Amino acid sequence: MTYLVAAVGGLGFFALSMLLLGVWPGEALEEQIHQTSPAHPLPLSASEQRGRAIYAREGCAYCHTQQIRYLARDVSRFGKATLAWETIFDYPHLWGTRRIGPDLSREAGVRSPDWQYSHLFAPQTLVRDSVMPAYPWLFHGAPDQPAQDARDVLAYLETLGRDRYLAGPEGEAAAKKACNCSEDERKFAFGPGPLNASPAIPLRKGKFPLLPVSNDEARGRQLYSRNCAGCHGAEGAGDGAGAAGLHPKPANFTEQEYAQERLSQALWNGVAGTAMPGWRDIPPADLAAMARTVRNFHQNGPEPALPEGVLELGAKVYAAHCAQCHGEKGAGDGSAADQFPVPPTNFQTQRPSLAASLRAVKNGIEGTPMAPWSGRLSEAEVYAAAYFVRGFYKGGIRKGDGQ
Amino acid sequence: MIEHPPETESLSVPSAGVETRLVSLHAHAALGTLLVSLLFGVLAAMELAVPGSGGSAPFMSWGKLRYDHTQGIMLGWLGNAFFAFLYHAVPLLTGRTVTSARLGQWIFGLWNFVIVLPGWVLVLAGFSQPLEWAEFPLVIDVFVVLALLLAAVQFLAPFFRSALEDLYVSSWYIIGGLVFTLFAYPMGNIVPELLPGARGAAFSGLWIHDAVGLFVTPLCLAIVYYVIPAATGRPIYSHFLSMLGFWLLFFLYPLNGTHHYVFSVIPMSAQIGAIAASTLLGVDVVIVVANLLLSVRGTNWFRRDMGLRFVTTATLFYLIVSIQGSLQAQMSINQSVHFTDWVVGHSHLAMLGFASFAAVGGIIHAWQRLPGKRCNTMLLGWAYWLLVSGLLIMVLDLTIAGLAEAAAWSSGAPWLDSVRAARPYWIIRVFTFIPLAAGFILLLAGLSSGERTGAKNEGEAA
Repeated sequence: MTYLVAAVGGLGFFALSMLLLGVWPGEALEEQIHQTSPAHPLPLSASEQRGRAIYAREGCAYCHTQQIRYLARDVSRFGKATLAWETIFDYPHLWGTRRIGPDLSREAGVRSPDWQYSHLFAPQTLVRDSVMPAYPWLFHGAPDQPAQDARDVLAYLETLGRDRYLAGPEGEAAAKKACNCSEDERKFAFGPGPLNASPAIPLRKGKFPLLPVSNDEARGRQLYSRNCAGCHGAEGAGDGAGAAGLHPKPANFTEQEYAQERLSQALWNGVAGTAMPGWRDIPPADLAAMARTVRNFHQNGPEPALPEGVLELGAKVYAAHCAQCHGEKGAGDGSAADQFPVPPTNFQTQRPSLAASLRAVKNGIEGTPMAPWSGRLSEAEVYAAAYFVRGFYKGGIRKGDGQ
Repeated sequence: MIEHPPETESLSVPSAGVETRLVSLHAHAALGTLLVSLLFGVLAAMELAVPGSGGSAPFMSWGKLRYDHTQGIMLGWLGNAFFAFLYHAVPLLTGRTVTSARLGQWIFGLWNFVIVLPGWVLVLAGFSQPLEWAEFPLVIDVFVVLALLLAAVQFLAPFFRSALEDLYVSSWYIIGGLVFTLFAYPMGNIVPELLPGARGAAFSGLWIHDAVGLFVTPLCLAIVYYVIPAATGRPIYSHFLSMLGFWLLFFLYPLNGTHHYVFSVIPMSAQIGAIAASTLLGVDVVIVVANLLLSVRGTNWFRRDMGLRFVTTATLFYLIVSIQGSLQAQMSINQSVHFTDWVVGHSHLAMLGFASFAAVGGIIHAWQRLPGKRCNTMLLGWAYWLLVSGLLIMVLDLTIAGLAEAAAWSSGAPWLDSVRAARPYWIIRVFTFIPLAAGFILLLAGLSSGERTGAKNEGEAA
């Protein structure tokens, strides 16, 4: 009799735990999913499913969580707390219990495809101090030669957070209204902050602080080699190991002059449509030191002599062929500018060397909408245009910078 | 239930009923898989210290090594160690032989050559599931459940054949652990494949805790409760406390699971319930450990017997790791240290400190009572100190690493700052491989050199 009671008790404890911590929470979750999910969340495509299987088998979830907790520290770093419906296509779930790398719940849209590929292929070439393993066997020998496996992984990464993003403000409002959740949960899941708080998402039109002029060369060098040298090269020539798989190539700082405004914008917001991420998690004083280091890479060559009539010809060519994108005054704000994934260069805040400018006009810039013009323009016209755009520059360190 | 502890002599005298060959086979398999699992562990640890150190072969990637490390420890090392101990203890606890020696060979073959070895290979080949303590693929799980069923037939039948007379507390833990795991294992491995996302995670949380709490812990406690009276010749301090501890453990442990997902979308009431259970569990462990320590008090446990030394040390680790667990389940602590290396340190204190020391103690105890085996007490003593120091350095190191990571995260600094802060500790952690591997190798050496066993038992049971 005692043993019968014991057996029933023992099995009862198991059943109780299933009921209290498995079945009953499951019902509550189901109810929340019903209340907060968009009507038609996008399931995973075949390629995304395959990518998910690779993510699962490589143990990605053992370093990258996929759940933003209902905590200020998680929400401020990663974005709004994860709702139950956001993982309804996860068989099995990939929540994870350890964060060596950052949470990936909202990874969609954070990085450019070439960045993701290069990072999967050889993480330390882009992120010097990362301990992420390399996955070269997902590629055909080079970071810009992804095999189907790497394409699938990228496709999967681009689903992370996608459905919540697609739900849009209306979806958020409807979910917030319908959710039978506590004040605390409401605060973290539907608070005023961004859906995706990643500091790396490139913002094409975002506001940015004008960085002060820094004198801290040592700090700038340290941060540059930690964060920038992987792609832009140890001496700023755009030739870091990480550059190999990136299209467009990282900027070569030795042949570009930048206004403080341009550097501030690129460092804070990143460069949309390229692998250059935002660095909004680095304090402005440190970004200013990095800007100083970047600026110091520029090598002032002797300016070439002005050929006869070159400015007149340049102005004509520019107005006919360049102004639509780069703007009448070279500010990168032409009428067509917004249609391109990569913003056209603003020549008022960035001045290429003549050689760099010539190369760009002749050959175009791979990985951007900048087309090669050598077949369409004469040699003299190419030269004139390349020369002309350099006249828009209003940069350098001006009065008012650094206040 | 019995009011008095069993005759201690019956626990320590080798009986004709023990399948000595199966004890020996499982003990060898346990130590062999332990060394392989340790190797998986250090290779994974090296990847964090020096990324790319494992080369770029797809089957050696970090995730796969990590999967094989923990599955090897739980199923290969601890599973085999438990079987070795059960073949020694069950006949002595019940006065009956296990069901069948032939069945034992089948279980041995199944466990090692159909589960552990193919499981490892399949994970390396890319077949696995991304669920903690459940990484072997589903096809392997079928055989685990089959093996657990056969183990129930093998080890539980003697208890029933003896009509469950006078069940000693070790017997309760053996029955409880084997039966519970038979249900919990398929739940943890299969339900998250059928229920998506958050709903599946709720069940994963249960299994993460059940694997450690209702498979590993009961069988380790069965060993500790067995070895202490057998080696000291004194009964357990209080049979009442033993049984109180047993029932509280089986009531509370299963209710802990959700503490792995505090601050998640899983309903807050479930989280709070699990945290309350985790707190009470600490109280239960204090009861269990107090009972065990009172039982060894004044027995010169450290010098008297190697098996006793290991299981008593396991008891101390059990106390520390459980109080730590109760504390880190609290929301105020959990929000900082969750997701950090603090928890990895905690796991090692549990599996390498408590569980492995208990398993080593059980193996040594059973080994010394096998006919014609060797045992070198001096080497075992060296093994003991190497393992204690390797473990303590690793746990301390990972705990500090976890605090450093937590500080970096809450400061809002760039993510990589937390990685840079942890790096030196990851490097130190790799070096703890040296004392740990040396300790386990000396353990192996200690069990294969020195004087022949067999004469051990006369002097002791008095």
